[in-house]
Amino acid sequence: MSNDLDNDLRAALRPVDPGERFTQSVLARVATESTRSARAPKLHTTTLRWTSVALAISLVMGIVVAHQWQVRRTQRGLEARQQLIQALQLTGEKLDLAYRVVNDEQPTQSAAEPGA
Amino acid sequence: MSEEASCQSEEWLTRALAGDAAAFGMLVRTHQRSVFSLALRMVSDRQKAEDLAQEVFLQLHRNLAAIESGAHLAFWLRKVTLNRSIDRLRREPKLEAMPLDAADGVVSEAEDADPLLARRLSTLVAQLPAAPRAVLLLRYQEDLDPTEIARTLGMSVNTVKSHLKRSLSLLRERFADTARSST
Repeated sequence: MSNDLDNDLRAALRPVDPGERFTQSVLARVATESTRSARAPKLHTTTLRWTSVALAISLVMGIVVAHQWQVRRTQRGLEARQQLIQALQLTGEKLDLAYRVVNDEQPTQSAAEPGA
Repeated sequence: MSEEASCQSEEWLTRALAGDAAAFGMLVRTHQRSVFSLALRMVSDRQKAEDLAQEVFLQLHRNLAAIESGAHLAFWLRKVTLNRSIDRLRREPKLEAMPLDAADGVVSEAEDADPLLARRLSTLVAQLPAAPRAVLLLRYQEDLDPTEIARTLGMSVNTVKSHLKRSLSLLRERFADTARSST
């Protein structure tokens, strides 16, 4: 071993060339990666576009269904109200009739009482 | 890295950023010796070093826009290579305990160097722990000064100097031991 360890280390640790095959492998991998990444955004854009369309359709359908449900609910409420009014009218009419019958009978009874 | 080489690298960088594959190829050719040798001497396995070095260049291709100059490129490549190598050694600790025979291919092919001496030194360097080994490689393979080494490895200059001092004395001791045992 020479006295100058620095020089010996420099000589021993000189860079080693991996050769042209290495360069070609790197360039091939870069090309593959570039092709893949060029395809990926297209796929990504298409997926994104279809997802947006699906979301928009779902949103519109949701709004329509909610609106229809609300309309049907209001309609049912109105029908129930109508039926209640009708029932109340009928009850009122029947009560009126009963009241009249009771009132008509009372004078006859009071007229019969003194002669008894 | 010389000023001329740095200018050339900057031109290739600009062209590579514009999508010129040939220019990127020139960048790879210019720096592959340094990147591959650092990886090889860190992980001590030719196949793993090739994979690691290729991943470094792929990462470079993805981050070309972040490289500001030829000098920055060389700095970035060394830093990424050593960080990846140290990560790999943490994940696969058995790589760090490299057997002596595995040093084949790690030795430089320099004609003026004594092959036996170079082989012994390379093997001893490969047996150092990851951090001092990285310091030693940047000093003697990449010819960086302690300040540049500190910047690349994110260490203080004093830590770099202390690693260098301890590693050199350890190498002297171990070299003396191997020389004694072989006689």
